[in-house]
Amino acid sequence: MKKQQPAEPEVAIREHVFDGIEEYDNKLPNWWLFTLYAAIVLFVGGWFVYYQTPFRIPDDEERIDREIAAIESKKKAELESMLASLSNESLQGMSADASHTAAGKAIFDAKCSACHGLDLSATMGGIQLPGLPLNDSEWKYGGAPLEIMKIVTDGSPDVTKGMVAWKAQLSPSEIAQVVAYILSQQPRT
Amino acid sequence: MPPLRQPNLDTLTSVNADGSHHFLHPADVSGKYTLWRRVFGLALIAVYVLLPWIPVGGFPAVFLDLAQRRFHFFGLTFLSEDLWIGFFLLTGLGFSLFYVTALFGRLWCGWACPYTVFLEHVYRRIERLVDGDATKRRQLDAAPWTAHKIVKRTVKQGLYLLVSLLIAHVFVSYFVSLPRLYGYMRESPLNHLKVFGTMLFLTGSLHFCFAWFREQFCIILCPYGRIQSALTDDDTVNIGYDARRGEPRGKKSDPGAGDCVACNRCVQVCPTGIDIRNGLQLECIGCAACIDACDTVMTKLDRPKGLIRYDSPNGLAGGKRRYLRPRIVLYTGLMALGVAVLGLSLLGLSPAKAELIRMTGNPYYLDDSGVRNQYRLQLVNKRNEPAEFRLVLEGLPEGSAVTGLDETIVLQAGEETVKTLLVQVPKAAYRGEFSIHLKGLVTPGNTKLADAIEFLGPSAYALDRSR
Repeated sequence: MKKQQPAEPEVAIREHVFDGIEEYDNKLPNWWLFTLYAAIVLFVGGWFVYYQTPFRIPDDEERIDREIAAIESKKKAELESMLASLSNESLQGMSADASHTAAGKAIFDAKCSACHGLDLSATMGGIQLPGLPLNDSEWKYGGAPLEIMKIVTDGSPDVTKGMVAWKAQLSPSEIAQVVAYILSQQPRT
Repeated sequence: MPPLRQPNLDTLTSVNADGSHHFLHPADVSGKYTLWRRVFGLALIAVYVLLPWIPVGGFPAVFLDLAQRRFHFFGLTFLSEDLWIGFFLLTGLGFSLFYVTALFGRLWCGWACPYTVFLEHVYRRIERLVDGDATKRRQLDAAPWTAHKIVKRTVKQGLYLLVSLLIAHVFVSYFVSLPRLYGYMRESPLNHLKVFGTMLFLTGSLHFCFAWFREQFCIILCPYGRIQSALTDDDTVNIGYDARRGEPRGKKSDPGAGDCVACNRCVQVCPTGIDIRNGLQLECIGCAACIDACDTVMTKLDRPKGLIRYDSPNGLAGGKRRYLRPRIVLYTGLMALGVAVLGLSLLGLSPAKAELIRMTGNPYYLDDSGVRNQYRLQLVNKRNEPAEFRLVLEGLPEGSAVTGLDETIVLQAGEETVKTLLVQVPKAAYRGEFSIHLKGLVTPGNTKLADAIEFLGPSAYALDRSR
């Protein structure tokens, strides 16, 4: 076996001594120093890009605002194109289409039935619910399909009533489906 | 080829004087501990790879379903609202580490840490297979870039990459489950960039760590290694060198010499590049390679084994090896307490939930028929099988009517639902606000549920006056 040289460590010690404690002067691992330099570069670069150039990584608030704005504008565009294509006649046409009324019923049962009743009678098991009955051909704010659509979208004109503006929760096409469902449940004259 | 470096206590062997990484090539070692460590390590890898494949109660044995926020452990399903149980997992892991460390030092590092397990039993084996033993590996490192070396390096790094990819995919499967992962793998990565990116990042990290970084992590980065000296005492069983028996080192023929023949085997096999004969050091990961190396030499010399052995500093100094000491008694007591509380918490976790929430809008409605409150009833079935809910409302005055509460409600596995509930109290029976108590029984399992909510209304006095 090859003879080992006796250990002869090149011990580098810093000059200062505090309370008898000395400090080695070994070099830090290069990869360790790299992480330090990389952090500095990242900080300076990040500061420069973030504050001194128009390129910005949006923070959470801006991102949320932007997404909300995007959703809003999309909804608005959808509503406008919807309203442009919608008329009392087309909504009546939708009310005869089983696919639309089925989707409308699902939304109605989930969102509206708490106040207007599952059978639109605004009662539940014989008890009066807070909403107005929707199956009696009586319309407080107008019974034309587009008028109903407006009430669902923007809520009751009387703000003391419970009917809220559903445009925050339902898309225009969903509202149209709910209206179609309500129309389909009207008593035939 | 540079000569083997002799470790000392003043510098790190694995870092050169200029700060560059001195790549260590531990020599082959065989023996009792090496064998058992390999068996144990391969068993751990098998557990890691197989857990996502073994179905328990309809889900993989361990499945942290991030998309659904449901966490499956061996048939138990936790929802995000049960996440506080994780407190016990984290503190339990930390405390177990304290406990084991007080008893056996860095037993975890050498035997069970995933970093060591993958490095020792996968990546180092590949390196040994491709590049040969320590001497050959050192020669190859020093050799110029010939076609031979390029081929060897390509094969080795290629195998590393392959293994890293496999390990990363198994890891990802813990969070998205195997069927979904398989589905993702057959689609374009662009369809699920997050999962693909996670997988790539993991693969890169694994490759970097195990192909190059290696012991640097254990020596410099790992916080556990750094707090060792605070966790151990003179009765902690570590790997140590019996200086009383070994010193002074000398040839076998030398009558005045101790048992250590200065063969340097313990240094050659060390994966972190220390000399265990310098005493317990921060770098030691307790892998026991030096024990096997020394025992082999001692057997050849017809000397008793155990010149390097698992022993406490007291034991190595000739004293008694004590396991039971105040610290251990205290730790055991605290551990038992923690386990007991965890057990109670798990028993208290309900596999179903029923909650009454007030409906948004007016708190109550009042008309000739009486006082009305509207509630939303939220039901959750956390089980992996359909469950039948039987719910009743208690505490209602005579003549009250409840609508919307079906006698039995069946929820499918993991289903959630919200029902609208209407409670009407006739004016004659109304005596002011009161509490409604929801009682429920869920089958199978006969889980009892309970919740309470206030029934709101005008004061009974005002109501009487208005009559």
